[in-house]
Amino acid sequence: MKIELYTSAARSPIWTKLHLRTRPALLAALILFLPEGGAVVRSCWFVHQRIGSRRKRHTANMAARTRLPLLFPKNLPPFRHKKLVHTETAVKEPAYPPIVASLTAKSKSARLRQVEEQVKKICASPVQEKLSLITRIQRKKFVVYPQTFSRNADRWYQHFTKTAYIPGLPEKFTPAPVEPVAEGSSPSPAALTAVPGIGDDAFADLRSLVTRVILQEQWHMKKRKPFLYRHQEQTFGPLLRSLVTELTHNLGKYNPLLLLSSLDISPQVNFYWRRGQRIIPKGHRRRHLEPTRFQIDDQPLCQIRITQQLPQFTPLEASYAAEVPEITYAPNLMPLFRRQYDNNIFTGAKLPDPACYGHTQFHLVPDRYHRDRMARMQQSDQVEVFLRANALASLFAWTGAQAMYQGFWNHEDVTRPFVSQAVITDGHFFSFFCYQLNTVALSVETDANNPRKNLLWGTESLRLYDSVQDGEVVGLNDDVLKLLVQFLMNQP
Amino acid sequence: MFPETAQRLKAAAPLVSQTRLLKDLSRLYPHGGAFSLQSRRQISVSGCLSAKIQPPRKPREPVEIPGLEMVTYGERMHFVPGLAKPRYPRWERDYKDPRYYTAPPAQEMPLYKEKPCHVFNQRTSALEGVRQAAWLTKAKVIPGLPPHLLSLAENPENQIPDQDERVQNAIKHARFWDTTQERPRKEKYSNTLLLNLLHLCATLQSRNPAIGRRILAEDHSLAATWTRGDDLFQIRGRNGLLHTSMDPLPEVSGKDEVSQTADYVLETFYPVSPTIDLQQVNVYKEDVNCSGFTGDYPYPHAHTLYFLETTDSCKLRPEQFRAKMVMFTFGNALARAHKLYGTEPQQLLDRPVTVQAVGTNGRIFQFLVFQLNTTDLSGDDGIKNQLWLEDDVELYDFAKVRPLIKKKQVKVPAGLTGYKPEVFTKFLSLYLHGAA
Repeated sequence: MKIELYTSAARSPIWTKLHLRTRPALLAALILFLPEGGAVVRSCWFVHQRIGSRRKRHTANMAARTRLPLLFPKNLPPFRHKKLVHTETAVKEPAYPPIVASLTAKSKSARLRQVEEQVKKICASPVQEKLSLITRIQRKKFVVYPQTFSRNADRWYQHFTKTAYIPGLPEKFTPAPVEPVAEGSSPSPAALTAVPGIGDDAFADLRSLVTRVILQEQWHMKKRKPFLYRHQEQTFGPLLRSLVTELTHNLGKYNPLLLLSSLDISPQVNFYWRRGQRIIPKGHRRRHLEPTRFQIDDQPLCQIRITQQLPQFTPLEASYAAEVPEITYAPNLMPLFRRQYDNNIFTGAKLPDPACYGHTQFHLVPDRYHRDRMARMQQSDQVEVFLRANALASLFAWTGAQAMYQGFWNHEDVTRPFVSQAVITDGHFFSFFCYQLNTVALSVETDANNPRKNLLWGTESLRLYDSVQDGEVVGLNDDVLKLLVQFLMNQP
Repeated sequence: MFPETAQRLKAAAPLVSQTRLLKDLSRLYPHGGAFSLQSRRQISVSGCLSAKIQPPRKPREPVEIPGLEMVTYGERMHFVPGLAKPRYPRWERDYKDPRYYTAPPAQEMPLYKEKPCHVFNQRTSALEGVRQAAWLTKAKVIPGLPPHLLSLAENPENQIPDQDERVQNAIKHARFWDTTQERPRKEKYSNTLLLNLLHLCATLQSRNPAIGRRILAEDHSLAATWTRGDDLFQIRGRNGLLHTSMDPLPEVSGKDEVSQTADYVLETFYPVSPTIDLQQVNVYKEDVNCSGFTGDYPYPHAHTLYFLETTDSCKLRPEQFRAKMVMFTFGNALARAHKLYGTEPQQLLDRPVTVQAVGTNGRIFQFLVFQLNTTDLSGDDGIKNQLWLEDDVELYDFAKVRPLIKKKQVKVPAGLTGYKPEVFTKFLSLYLHGAA
């Protein structure tokens, strides 16, 4: 019986054809006999076997070949093995490089490989280089304005940033419900000192300080008439800045973080990210998939940056159950417009600054979005929506930039949540917001199996004081003041 | 030389262009005698540019004969040759429209006074600088800050923990880290640096509660009036930053030194008048004294003024900047003294009013302490006010984003170089004055 055996030496792609006139049993022995018998067996494509006697040698199906099973049993009669004691050598496992797609070919797999290599390169570089590699290439992107005239902007922004909105504040700030009075004990003055760490006297001092600041700006100081549409900026801007500076300095003794903090006036906060994709409708890249890029350029009134990170409000896993509104329309229908310019990721100071974590931001509602003007345009329902959208975009940008400064990015998701707070006001009404960033992996490839969501807590707008009359502040609301103090007192 | 020559030239060469004509004429009139011909320039760009210009037509003078009524074409409502042009009285709107308001001339304004008033404002650039300011405020200039003031910050209790490192971080933040661009602009970084330093100093409030009795005020308007000899002076303007306090600053020099200033002779700079560069106005309110705050302000006493060199509107040279600092400090002190002791000039105040000032351009600082001893400023003799001035102190030498390399050698490395901690000590001591 003639058997054709295709063999190849170890690691050699050359196949040699052996013609053997042997029987199968002898063939098996031969295979074992050969020094690289095992390798031969494994690397044999198939074994030709011309079955049949000499009669059938020249039949029509001469070319028909059968395939012997590739997998010869390894534990062939064991004693035969012992005969090969002298010629036994160590069986080396061949180590071949992983089969990957080409890097330079003009194919889709090559493009995917290039993207992979770029991702690996970014992961392996230091933080400054990571940021510059991520923001290097300029392309058309949607510019997201935190203060926008679009209707229902908060739902859109929630979709862009994968944030769930939770009305109310986290448990840290909601006062524990006062227990019903029992056994004749007098109602504790816990309601007054709902701010932990500050006594009654200190709170009364803070109250009088706030009164003095409001009176200074609104009553005592002689000011010129404000310009058109700059009333908020020129009347309440200085008031808010003085309030923030005075409260920060005063609360330094209770919150040591504030002593090492950095107070910025009108800083820049920028963030650049990708979310979702679209099919390019027209052009030489038609029918290709393009990721949607976004950029936020924000300028809060003032912000406090600290050297240590604030503790999380809820654990990461708790965000899995939160609901993020899905919007099926394209972002430009919001309306949102695309531009191409420098991609910036900035917390308010560059990377070498030691105060790289955020504490609280303060935003002022400009004249254009003041509630009186919204009421004139019959859009009073959009007032709260505007505040939420503003808080969402500003805080997402700030926390995202903080996370990127620590080296987390799209393909390397955050290992700990980043937390920041914001207070948005128009001078009379204050709204408080807390944000927890649980994930930065928002692009299509990383978002597919990402159950984490970002969380935004927020209040409705609350009045701090009614008005200033005859050198007195009328109707100063203690609860709002308490919330403000609690926000500034937040520390790990 | 000869106007007839010029006119003949012009008549003979109607197509010669104006510029060539002017060049020819300028040779004839080397000292600008052809000024009248040069003044009529060819401004229009349509039509022929090189024709000769007609001489200006003198309008016919209207002849006024009293008692004679001119027959005008006013009633006919259209021009009629031969009749006179009607003259109508001036029409005034019966309502007030701010777009079409023309101010009456100064003489007709209700606040007009014959005697001019010299006003010093934010944009004044005094020629003689600090000498002029000292003469105007009747002050004796003492170079260098008072020594007992500097010892305030030497006390380790009054120092910020990790002071040097934190101040250097503050400078680096202001100069390098505050922008997405390569470097922030001068007005931005000088402002940020001042605010950062103030924030650092204010963190001492946790240890020193007296600092909590102060507040910062932005953009208040100041007004103060005084006479000096025969002239009336006013200071008006909006300041940058003012630190006000509930408690007055203690006096810097004792009664002996104050009485010794009576022997000091003020420095004059004849032939330059001390009122040079001040704005002269005839329309002013007399006796305005306003510190910028009304009523019973809880922080009535001025503590420190902070000046920044603004580069956009008016660029002041260092000497003029110091003069501005002196004048505004004096103005604040005077306004408060008038409020406390009345507007009558007082020979010697019971409690001298002390105000401090710090001016900076982002790197170089000027420190100033002014003590107002007297409001009787009309004569040149008597008790003088006192002024301690320390000028041109550098907080650091260089803050470069890119190193300075000359001939392949690094002259100045990148980053902050040449930091001087004693300057911040002076800043801190001025801040703590009155509280520590």
